[in-house]
Amino acid sequence: MKTTGIGRWLAGAALALSLGAAAPAFADDVLDRGIGSEWSSLDPQVNFDGAAGWILMDAYEGLVTYGPGGDVQPGAAESWDISEDGKTYTFHLREGLKWSNGDPIVAQDFVNSVARTLDPATVSEKGYYFYSVVQVKGAADIANGVTTDASALGVTAPDDRTVVIDMLTPAPHIMFIMGAFQIPPLHTPSLQANGAAGFVDPAKVVSNGAYVFREIVPQSHVLLEKNPNYWDAANVAIPFVKYYVTEDVTTELKRYQAGELDITYDIPVNQIEALKASIPEQVFISPATEVTYYSFDLTKPELQDINVRMALSLAIDREVLQEKIVKGGAIPSYSYAGGFDPTYDGPKMPYAELTQAEREAKAVELMTAAGFGPGNPLKLNIITTVAEDRTRLAQGVALMWKKVLGVEATVEPMERKAWLDAFYAGGWDVFADNLIGDFAGAETFLAYQRPSSDPGYNWVKPEYDAQMDVAATKPDAASRNIELAKAEKILLDDLIFAPIAIEPSRSLVSPHVKGWVASPTGYYNSQFLSLE
Amino acid sequence: MLRFILKRLWNGGLTLAALVTLTFFVMRLAPGGPFSKNRKISPDVQANIEAAFHLDEPVWKQFGRFVWGLLHLDLGPSTRFRDYSVGDIIASGLPYSLTIGFWAVVVASVVGVALGIAGALRRNGVTDYVAGIVGVIGIAIPIFVIGPILQVIFALKLGWLPVGGWDAGLRSLILPVLVLALPNIAYISRLTRTSMIETLRENYVRTARAKGIGWRRTLWKHTLKGALLPVVAYLGPATAAIITGSILIETVFALPGIGRHFVDAALNRDYPLVMGITLLYGGLLILFNIGTDVVRAWMDPRLRNAQ
Repeated sequence: MKTTGIGRWLAGAALALSLGAAAPAFADDVLDRGIGSEWSSLDPQVNFDGAAGWILMDAYEGLVTYGPGGDVQPGAAESWDISEDGKTYTFHLREGLKWSNGDPIVAQDFVNSVARTLDPATVSEKGYYFYSVVQVKGAADIANGVTTDASALGVTAPDDRTVVIDMLTPAPHIMFIMGAFQIPPLHTPSLQANGAAGFVDPAKVVSNGAYVFREIVPQSHVLLEKNPNYWDAANVAIPFVKYYVTEDVTTELKRYQAGELDITYDIPVNQIEALKASIPEQVFISPATEVTYYSFDLTKPELQDINVRMALSLAIDREVLQEKIVKGGAIPSYSYAGGFDPTYDGPKMPYAELTQAEREAKAVELMTAAGFGPGNPLKLNIITTVAEDRTRLAQGVALMWKKVLGVEATVEPMERKAWLDAFYAGGWDVFADNLIGDFAGAETFLAYQRPSSDPGYNWVKPEYDAQMDVAATKPDAASRNIELAKAEKILLDDLIFAPIAIEPSRSLVSPHVKGWVASPTGYYNSQFLSLE
Repeated sequence: MLRFILKRLWNGGLTLAALVTLTFFVMRLAPGGPFSKNRKISPDVQANIEAAFHLDEPVWKQFGRFVWGLLHLDLGPSTRFRDYSVGDIIASGLPYSLTIGFWAVVVASVVGVALGIAGALRRNGVTDYVAGIVGVIGIAIPIFVIGPILQVIFALKLGWLPVGGWDAGLRSLILPVLVLALPNIAYISRLTRTSMIETLRENYVRTARAKGIGWRRTLWKHTLKGALLPVVAYLGPATAAIITGSILIETVFALPGIGRHFVDAALNRDYPLVMGITLLYGGLLILFNIGTDVVRAWMDPRLRNAQ
């Protein structure tokens, strides 16, 4: 084809213009990720919030890591052995592991990390993983200041490539808390030279993950660059990852639409339907390890009658609640600890097998038998947080109770900190409760409900504690899950709360990001993603 | 004049002290604390954390500690952002807030005064009507509505400007500055217009004209100074309000300024950070008010003599 001089010039200009326009949006060796609120800390032994956990999972590597979909896979350790009683785990580090500054990584770096997390001087809440989620020998005594003797700790390094963890009780779920969020190694010389301030100075942080810190700007962003000293650097596809503070979820959506972000932290609830219609392949909504349940005040005389609690639970149409009222993508739930670990076959709440219409009929019957009716309605308050979807949920529940049972329920939304305080202060009949699990399994949720663990529920049930103790003796996940399911049955049958839903995690993921697989653990390490 | 300034500073200091004291104690009345969580950690560990931030001490003692720190220019550590002290956080966020605030004040003053003068000189002309419409829009539509609308137009539809963040240099500044300036352009142009019209009717202006001084010279030399007095009076507190009031702007445009911290700190019961920002905002507000008084006194001898 013959083109005139002017035609060529025009074509060239158009190409230049189109390139110029496209370049800023997809300058693409950078993965741009939204992160919600600002990280509370980048000190790996202090940080305790999930979103910042994303940054830490990229910058550090634990003994194990979470692969696509959240599977536990070898990290800094290439293999591990478990003792027959399930109390001792021995991890074998890969050969030739290096810190980002080239120093060799030794087993003692992992021991030092746990020791620093537990040391009261560090003022960390995270030691909880080692004395509560699993019971590492000596951890509680060190955290509680009973001893300052580091040699009392059940995490040891017999040689440079072996980390041994001794626990008081078997805990197969320990594998879930061996990732970088909980147990990254500690580069002690840096800490000694720079103190904790060194963790937020990109020039000074020494890390061992797939990425290293390049920029840290509070309230703005963290820029990470590929770590050439990472053992698997050859398989890390994306050269840079930038995490943006995206506090405002509508602004985050617009930044995504403008191409400023590749992955969002959340999706505005009122936009979900529209986005599902227009860009369905970019909307990722999957269950997170978070449950919502409505707890009953067991000290209130009316609610001491289990039939009343049963009726209240049965009158809630969980499907309508999520699909027609809240519409945030939560999954209606008829149990409490099930739905996270596919190998856990847990029980459902009583009458879960009935249809909703049958459940409502049963509810009316129970409520009438308890002496409540049109002339004598049950009066309740529901304490919830001010978050829009939570308030809407509570209003939906109140409406259903009114419609089915004639219950007069008032919704009292509270700011989050006041809501937390109100739980122990009392003054609530129904508490719109929610709990984020420490890992995608049943035990993290069930342990929380032990009357000995949280007295706030005023639930006294020695059988439950006894059954949880039985479960705690089982060293393997399969037989442990069987015992845990028995415990959950005791819990659900007593109806100290009405199960409501499993909360979702919601993200928009740009089509040019490859490798994004929904994960209940909520970790999406950038090293397993690529850009097209 | 010096006595006048010193007296204002002394009063300002007292106001600030009262504000800070009140904030300190009122904040502790709110339920919940910086470390309330719904997952129980070991009581000893909880106690250790609270002790590290002196939350275990009686409130009066904590106040004493705060005042002592203040005298040493130390605002203490943030309970929410564990890597930074309150001083670090303010030092890192304030430049962004000041930059946006400064340009918003400049834009609002220049555009507002120009529109106001134009409106006053050609009353009921085209400029006057346009200024009037801009004024009504600027005052009536809140930031959280106009901000997102401009984002949709200039970032999503036209692709000229970024939606938010601070990565695109000057281009990142345009929308936030514009949105922050808009209501102030409105106020300033209305103020200038009214005041200008009034001043033009003053006897001294007529005298100047009667003495044969040219129209332009009368305007610049005799009218403007008098006409701008109310604008200056407005500008002082407005500047403080623009700098401290950028909370919504910073949220909507995802800017790393100080404003976002204020609300967040209160919600998270980050007591030291709330105190630090209250002190900063209170101080700014008082200083700008004093500044305004000084400038007005300088511009209008009647005010100075009244003191």
